[in-house]
Amino acid sequence: MAISDHSSRRFDEELDELRTRVLQMGGLVEQQIHGAIEAFGVGNFEQLEQIENDDHRVNAHEVGIDEACALIIARRQPAAVDLRMLMGISKIVTDLERCGDKAAKIARKAKGIFDHEMRRVPCISDIREMGEIAVSLLRAALDAFARQDAVGAAAIVRDDVAIDEKFQAITRQLITFMMEDPRTISVALEILFIAKAVERVGDHAKNIAEQIIYIARGTDVRHVTWDQLERDAKGEGESA
Amino acid sequence: MPFWAGPLLRILILVVTALAVGVFVDDATGWALLAAGLAAGYAHHLIQLGRLTRWLDRTRWEKAVDVPQSSGEWDNAFAALYRMRREEQAGRERLSDSLERLSQAAEALPDGIVLLDTMMRIEWCNSMATRHLGIDAVRDRGMPITHLVREPAFAAYVKEAGNVDPVVLKNASPPVRTLSLSMIPFAESGRLLISRDITAIELADTVRRDFVANVSHELRTPLTVIVGFLEGLAAGNVVDMPGLARQHALMHEQALRMERLVEDLLTLSRLENDTEPPREDAVDMPGLLESLREEASALSGGKHRVELGEVSAGSVRGSADELRSAFGNLASNAVRYTPEGGKLVFNWRIEDGCPVFSVEDNGIGIPPEHIPRLTERFYRVDNGRSTATGGTGLGLAIVKHVLARHQGWLTIRSEIGRGSVFSAHLPRQRLVATHPCA
Repeated sequence: MAISDHSSRRFDEELDELRTRVLQMGGLVEQQIHGAIEAFGVGNFEQLEQIENDDHRVNAHEVGIDEACALIIARRQPAAVDLRMLMGISKIVTDLERCGDKAAKIARKAKGIFDHEMRRVPCISDIREMGEIAVSLLRAALDAFARQDAVGAAAIVRDDVAIDEKFQAITRQLITFMMEDPRTISVALEILFIAKAVERVGDHAKNIAEQIIYIARGTDVRHVTWDQLERDAKGEGESA
Repeated sequence: MPFWAGPLLRILILVVTALAVGVFVDDATGWALLAAGLAAGYAHHLIQLGRLTRWLDRTRWEKAVDVPQSSGEWDNAFAALYRMRREEQAGRERLSDSLERLSQAAEALPDGIVLLDTMMRIEWCNSMATRHLGIDAVRDRGMPITHLVREPAFAAYVKEAGNVDPVVLKNASPPVRTLSLSMIPFAESGRLLISRDITAIELADTVRRDFVANVSHELRTPLTVIVGFLEGLAAGNVVDMPGLARQHALMHEQALRMERLVEDLLTLSRLENDTEPPREDAVDMPGLLESLREEASALSGGKHRVELGEVSAGSVRGSADELRSAFGNLASNAVRYTPEGGKLVFNWRIEDGCPVFSVEDNGIGIPPEHIPRLTERFYRVDNGRSTATGGTGLGLAIVKHVLARHQGWLTIRSEIGRGSVFSAHLPRQRLVATHPCA
């Protein structure tokens, strides 16, 4: 799985180690989001608490990986695919950290809902369904990153539409609830926040997928938006 | 004949012929003949050598190149080569056959298997591992396993070099929900990762845990009441006579509740452990319905109207006790869960040749999402209500078991605000018809 040939074996090892760390962080984030949605579905208070408390572990990963990225760039002055890899990782890590925040947010909101003993929580099953899609997208994005699979990443960009549609449907449903019975407004709003957080996880998965295409294909812009490519190209031009 | 005899004979013939020509014709012709003979022999060897070289060259790249044929010593050499190659081919086939069998055996295993090298990189996996972990045997060769199986618990397990208990992955990709992963050292420094689908085991475990928790809870509640009063008495709290009578009545009520629960538990466990088919009594259904109606009226205490609807004639074959308990449970449930003033109708009719006992009420109805789970033990649609009504939470589980033992089944139709119909269906061969029925 060597990305490119290097005279320096040590450099390759450093890059591999960095990728492993990113994937480990990804595994943690996957677990956080899956756990948050699951615990929300069944009302598991302790698990929600645990997820909120574990968010700092995600943050620590982000800081550590970013530092390592900067160190490698400064020491090795990489070019071409290695530089793209480092830039990409730096962005992927930001997206992963945001995903982790979303998990903590879902846990916090869910705790609030169960704290007030709101018994009839609408749309729980829809949110679970949407959450399952979001987690599967994130998982697919990380798989694509591990495999440097640009084609798989492109599929994720397409699949994100499914989550957006689900979010629209949940919003409409919640509006109906609120119109029928204004007493449900406060809980419906909380649910809406949770749905929005899940929807954002899908967006972050999409961003990660776009970075993977950039890392793997470099100048190939078929599946990348123009401004995305411009930003990436600028980053490469500055440090090379 | 030794191997040198043939060549020697041929050289001898050539020399003798050349000598004879030299003696009888002239010297020059003799020499010329000898030279020509030697040259021809030399050319023959060169040609054969060339053929051998070409064959050796081609056989490196192509498999099925026949060994050249020749005569004399060259043919001996070629034949030996041919034999060697045939043996080697047979050996290779045997080897690939046994490899094939081994990998087929690995494919047939119900568990996922991944071969890992010293650096925890994937070397090979079977198709079950592909299903469990999403690893592709070809594409993911050489990829560190932790890049694809990213659960933090698994990473920790790998770091411990598998010296701890197997990891359980809860959020495996559907359809598998729960996986158990264990790692075994193999060969010199490789590792074997085994993944096992434990979704069903996990589910059974949850059901058992829930059951124990529920039973304990159901038993504890009445005990708390009784113990509370007894402690009060023991502490010498002065209670007046009416108060004492009330406490006594409450304790009695709670004790009865515990008794009912234990009875239901015993019934259930008897039904579950009974491998014998149920007895084949002839149960007189119209009579049973009438007595059920009387019992239900008594339980209701005049708060409901209990009526018999359609009652077909006839009896069924089955265990009288079990059927009575099952139908009685449906009847008493209807009384318990229908608000005051409601109307209950018991029916016994023949539908499509099959006998059906049904209880209709015009109560509050059951939300559709609860219906599939109603026969689970201790399943409550509304926790607050049901304990007050005196049900044990085991009634429908008993009904389901009794019907299953009689090859019957339970159907529940319900409409919120309109009421519910619980129907116990029995197979047609259990019907003992007194009149031919439509």
